[in-house]
Amino acid sequence: MAAPPEPRDFFEASSAGAADRELHRKLESASARHLEHFAEVRAEFSPYEDERAAARRIKEDAIARLDELLIELTKKLEARGCKVFFAATAAEARDYITAAAKQAGAKRVVKGKSMTTEEIALNPALATAGIEVIETDLGEYIVQLRNEPPSHIITPAIHLSKEDIGALFRDKFGTEYTDEPEKLTAEARARLREIFLSADLGVTGVNFAIAETGTLVVVENEGNGRMSSTLPEVFIAVMGIEKVIPKLADLPHFLEILARTATGQKLTTYTNFINGPRRHGEVDGPREMHVVILDNGRSAMLADPVMREALYCIRCGACLNVCPVYRHIGGHAYRSPYPGPIGSIVSPNLIGGATAQLPFASTLCGACKEICPVKIDIPRLLLHLRWKECARGSNAIQWPAAAERARSGARRFARLARHPRTIRLLGRLAAIALRPFSSDGWLRRMPPPLRNWTKIRDFPSPHPRKRRAVTTPGG
Amino acid sequence: MAELHKIVARLKTALETAPAGKKKPPAQPSAVRIAPNAQRAELASTFARELEAVAGRFLGSLTPDEAVARIVEVARERNVRTVAVGEGVENDASVIAAALTSAGITVVRPAPVADPAARAAMRERIAGCGLGVAEAHYAIAATGTVAMLSGETRPNSLTLVPPASLVLVQIDRLVANLAAAVAALGPETVATQRVTLITGPSRTADIEKRIVVGVHGPKSLDVILVWPKE
Repeated sequence: MAAPPEPRDFFEASSAGAADRELHRKLESASARHLEHFAEVRAEFSPYEDERAAARRIKEDAIARLDELLIELTKKLEARGCKVFFAATAAEARDYITAAAKQAGAKRVVKGKSMTTEEIALNPALATAGIEVIETDLGEYIVQLRNEPPSHIITPAIHLSKEDIGALFRDKFGTEYTDEPEKLTAEARARLREIFLSADLGVTGVNFAIAETGTLVVVENEGNGRMSSTLPEVFIAVMGIEKVIPKLADLPHFLEILARTATGQKLTTYTNFINGPRRHGEVDGPREMHVVILDNGRSAMLADPVMREALYCIRCGACLNVCPVYRHIGGHAYRSPYPGPIGSIVSPNLIGGATAQLPFASTLCGACKEICPVKIDIPRLLLHLRWKECARGSNAIQWPAAAERARSGARRFARLARHPRTIRLLGRLAAIALRPFSSDGWLRRMPPPLRNWTKIRDFPSPHPRKRRAVTTPGG
Repeated sequence: MAELHKIVARLKTALETAPAGKKKPPAQPSAVRIAPNAQRAELASTFARELEAVAGRFLGSLTPDEAVARIVEVARERNVRTVAVGEGVENDASVIAAALTSAGITVVRPAPVADPAARAAMRERIAGCGLGVAEAHYAIAATGTVAMLSGETRPNSLTLVPPASLVLVQIDRLVANLAAAVAALGPETVATQRVTLITGPSRTADIEKRIVVGVHGPKSLDVILVWPKE
């Protein structure tokens, strides 16, 4: 059984991302374009704030009575012939899906984009069972061809330029090089069309599950989610327990904000309402439909009154686009299917292992909280996770020693700051002493023991003539 | 169901460990309101603008006869030899089928399939069509969306597999916004039939966030608003 890959040290991985200037260029241009689109659709939609507040209220209500809503959803789905499986862990979910695929005699699986199946590392498990898995979302297809994980929740290949993708297609398919997105898309369409028509199992994620009607809602733009749930004989939907909403009338509140924040669209191209296998006489739809409802750490989040808020997330990816850390190091540095601010709070709960470091990978600037369509207080949750991590005496980072050093440094500085003349004098001396280490006004590599600082951050060179504003008490 | 009860028991414990704060009032009905005096013409022009904004093509508000003629024209201009025509909602699809046939175009009419062989054959015939014609149950002006209900004679693949899609919708089924469309569909329909909201042709922005139309689904979407003479 393939477990999710154990991440390398975050600091090492993020340094690699931070050093990649080409990656910055791609991330900055994609994020800027995204935020521009979002600002446009946000500005022309006056009820946005009302919808946001409504969505938040519905999530609070739904999560507070998750137990009854899941029972209602399950009953409705089963009444229409769906097989519903509750998986307590990622391993249980993988085993169930693999067994269902084998039982159906599936040789080839087409997948719509699904973060939850990334979370449970489904693809390696199916591959081990001798079943071919093909990602059909264009971005996912591209990263699968490169044999790497997605680097963004919404835009999996955000770290690649059109030239990268052109070279990839040329090398993999032996076709003539082109970097025109239209031609590359047409190439993928033609190849995947054949695969769709011959696949015997489809797997997708779920955006919302309506308890009242027993309906799974899957939103997408390409038509691959629609095909994966319509054409193969067997269809498996995989969802976290937190995806359930009480009523059909709740759905528009979410749809009105999800596409706007996720992609800057008013609505995605396709909104699929899926509620069971095909009925007698129907041409389309699966003969057999399974719904896998995954816990995998979520009920523990529910039990933590602070952490619970993270279950309101609708996976729009907006917090990634505004995050200065994400934009600097890229998604792969997080070594989790869920990168960025939201990834830093859910990964320690859902993935575990080295992702315990991730809550420390934030400047707590609050841009994520501001853009979050369901107003999750991400900085607060990051601090909460940091606190928990320290409280259990973790070695995720060398915390107690570092904290003690920081504290004693701050105390020393506080004493020094009471003597403006001394501090000015020391500043001038430091400027002279550090001059050999300075370039373009920045200290990038200081001698020990200050090296620990410059390993992670640059420091502005102290200027010998620059006077610092020092406030004296009462002055 | 045993697993379900185990998990639900765990959720109950979790909820009791950390009870929610004071009960918030339930969500209000959608804040998006239908303008009471919105005229059909206004809705139609909003719909047309929004549809074109998502790379769809608005073929106009036409009478039923004009609509049939326009469909034949589209099939000709797209150089299509085979067209799949799904069952109508307000309009008689057999009229459309007859007009296409007399224009020398082969028509595929989806019908209930009794066995796997018939099903495979029907699917292959739909996949072989150059254009799928379907009638929507509702349309949404604010987003340029059409709401399709699937069934035996209106398969989902009709607006998914053929490279071009043409959808008609009756003018009085055009509503202002998403909340109104969802309310019009209602829980009963959503619980029993497959519903698909379609907003423009299939698209992606996965390569450098540049929008490309025509990924897995149709490369084009034409919509006719059918406006009977009163």
